[in-house]
Amino acid sequence: MAAPAIAPQRTDQPRSDERTERDRPWNVIVWNDPVTLMSYVVFVLRKLFNHDEPTATKLMLQVHNEGRAVVASGPREKSEMDVSRLHAHGLQATMARD
Amino acid sequence: MARFHGVRRLDGGGVRVRLSHREREALRSLPGQLRPLLTGEQDVDTPQGPLRDRLFPRGYDDPLAEMEYRELVGSSLVDERVAALDEFARTLESGDDKRLWWTLELDADEAAAWLSAVNDARLTLGMLLGIESEGQWEGGPDPEDPTSVMMFYLGWLEEELVHALMGELGGGAGAGPAAAGQ
Repeated sequence: MAAPAIAPQRTDQPRSDERTERDRPWNVIVWNDPVTLMSYVVFVLRKLFNHDEPTATKLMLQVHNEGRAVVASGPREKSEMDVSRLHAHGLQATMARD
Repeated sequence: MARFHGVRRLDGGGVRVRLSHREREALRSLPGQLRPLLTGEQDVDTPQGPLRDRLFPRGYDDPLAEMEYRELVGSSLVDERVAALDEFARTLESGDDKRLWWTLELDADEAAAWLSAVNDARLTLGMLLGIESEGQWEGGPDPEDPTSVMMFYLGWLEEELVHALMGELGGGAGAGPAAAGQ
């Protein structure tokens, strides 16, 4: 087993830019699927994101009509958790930054 | 109690399912077919590509990020779906078998397992049928094609489950937890 390597000090890194880059939120996107029931999409969005029914229905219709909708936005770890919960429920979801 | 056919909500988060013997037999055929597809023992090429890619879709466009995502959650996503399928199979062997109807009570976790299994079965059948638009199934099944009939039937059952379980979610129309704190 190799000893942990010590990372070289980097003094030339512009810290403020790094932070801005890291803090840019990730969007969680749900994609349209021709087989999945509309009522099921509403159910999953309400269950996972605590949306009320009108909000979940609006997002579902956006997915249905436009092919995709951003259903959540936030730091990478949270968005990755959101995507994995959507995947666990059989929805097509990806994450990306603008 | 009034007779019904389908799924009804019970107090405490569970549901009551009442189906014909024929429907129960049809559902019993699903776990054995779905399990090898979920575990990866078997994959099927469909008109849209490998079935497994749809059951376990990618989370990132970037290949490296996607690889890390798979390493992080891939096996737990499979385990969770297989556990739900096993729960579905197990409860299909219980319940109350009367002359005309089979009746079964599910608690909230078992009902969630049914929803997971039925949704996975629909996704699978939809891929096998090569469905690429809602119009290909919304109009009704092809009575000559058992796969199409099964997919249509599971759509009805899934609607029944969703409507019974939707009542358990916080709030209802316009008063969900997100709005309650405002």
